[in-house]
Amino acid sequence: MVPRRLSLIVVCLPAFLAAQERTTVGGYGEIHYTNRTGPNSPGQVNLRRFVLYLAHTFDDRLAFRSELEVEDAKLESGEPGGEVALEQAYLDYRLAERLTLRSGLVLPPIGIINETHEPPTFNGVDRPAFDRDVIPTTWREIGVGVLGSVPAIAGLGYRLYLVNGLKAEGFSAEQGIREGRQEGKEASFANPSLTGRLEWAQPGLKVGGSFWYGGTANQDSVLGNGTFAAPITLVSADARYEVGGIMLRGVVASISVSDAQAIDARYGGTVGSRIAGGYVEAAYNLLRPLAPASSQRLHAFVRHERYDTQASVPIGIAKHDSLARRITTIGLSYKPTYNTVFKGDYQVLRNKARVGEAEVLSLGLGYQF
Amino acid sequence: MTAPRLPVAALALLLAALPSRAATAQAAPPARLAASIRRLFGAGARVDTLRVDSAAVLRLSRGDSLLGFAEVGNVIGKDQPITFLVAVDPADRLKDVDILVYREPYGGEVAYEPWRRQFRGKTTADPIAVGRDIRSISGATISVQAVTAGVRRILADLTAWHGRGAIR
Repeated sequence: MVPRRLSLIVVCLPAFLAAQERTTVGGYGEIHYTNRTGPNSPGQVNLRRFVLYLAHTFDDRLAFRSELEVEDAKLESGEPGGEVALEQAYLDYRLAERLTLRSGLVLPPIGIINETHEPPTFNGVDRPAFDRDVIPTTWREIGVGVLGSVPAIAGLGYRLYLVNGLKAEGFSAEQGIREGRQEGKEASFANPSLTGRLEWAQPGLKVGGSFWYGGTANQDSVLGNGTFAAPITLVSADARYEVGGIMLRGVVASISVSDAQAIDARYGGTVGSRIAGGYVEAAYNLLRPLAPASSQRLHAFVRHERYDTQASVPIGIAKHDSLARRITTIGLSYKPTYNTVFKGDYQVLRNKARVGEAEVLSLGLGYQF
Repeated sequence: MTAPRLPVAALALLLAALPSRAATAQAAPPARLAASIRRLFGAGARVDTLRVDSAAVLRLSRGDSLLGFAEVGNVIGKDQPITFLVAVDPADRLKDVDILVYREPYGGEVAYEPWRRQFRGKTTADPIAVGRDIRSISGATISVQAVTAGVRRILADLTAWHGRGAIR
């Protein structure tokens, strides 16, 4: 018996010691119907996102991962809208089970949606507006970093990256730092920036804290040549909790634009010196009491967002109350499987100035695989 | 009892080399597997390998008493295999799940003891389903779903094989 087993070792070992090269394809996407109240706003359907996930495993330690995205179905010259972009593209080297080195186009690990944005993972047809105007999802920049977990504390994970910085030139009053992102396209590396996250996970619970720090001057003669000239500091905290069919999540973030006054003087904008806000969301899986044996889900949810991209303004800049936004969303998410979803929601958009307020009805579907 | 007693490490090496029946069979590091067996069944337990269909089942015993069975499985997470071990006691109750190798950068929370603990004591009478008797972890959904399905399948197989005497 022993010899036969030993011969098995001889036969089988080489096949398993050799690294298996393998290519994996996946993807996610979402299609939206939105109808906004008010004049000149007919209902609209849009293939919002179509994303191909492509990964390749070179050996036990080295893997490439990428996401290629088409937004709004197509891109045509002379027409507004539409985008083809790489959302992620990086090499991972697994140095140890708890330590991976990463380099390439990466997602700053800030908040919930920026890293986990597949449509079945969040309620509401569109992402929270907070995750557009405060945390500018999908935020990606080129850099290097480490990620892993802390052996001493079960459930504690971290990620830390050094990436190219933002450009103050793109900042705006309405969307904060959003258009300051460079997204891997001939990006200036004048202001290398640090971003990272600590998170703690337990069954049903995840809490995290994230940051970004870096200059934004891009060696502009007025804003300064220093690596950290015209710095921004972003801090954010988030939590997700699930118990007995109830799901709660919340995110807060605050962004300090230290030299907002100089940036506004230089580019003629009214960028706030502080951008801040957050949201809380509660959801309940209605199928838990109605069909306890089902693996399908029907979430009823309500989300309340409050944020102001001019939470503070530099001296001499008038504050626009319309930027102090409050958005309440109620809706349903039906998930036949954990990775597919049909959504519907109703949003009430309000702001402190009470101008341009509206209600929006949305329907959508999403998938990931 | 004709099977010779081999050191656990040698058996572990042997087992690691045996292909499991998952589509992408992956080896478990022998030391890792041996440590897992030692943790679950105590040091010095006798390990025999039983072949059932194309699967390799570990039979754990001490003297004349059966301690339980264990099997190594693989499921695919986002893009990498997750190699795990399912151990059962002689009454087909799940003793524990161990993640032997986790290869992806995200979703590694499935290796954390507070999550794996949820499987202890389960039998085939339990649903072993995410959102029912197994709580998920945000941001690790794919791995949570994959490992839960893999554990359910292996527990069902071990229970069925034990029931019909294919392993005993």
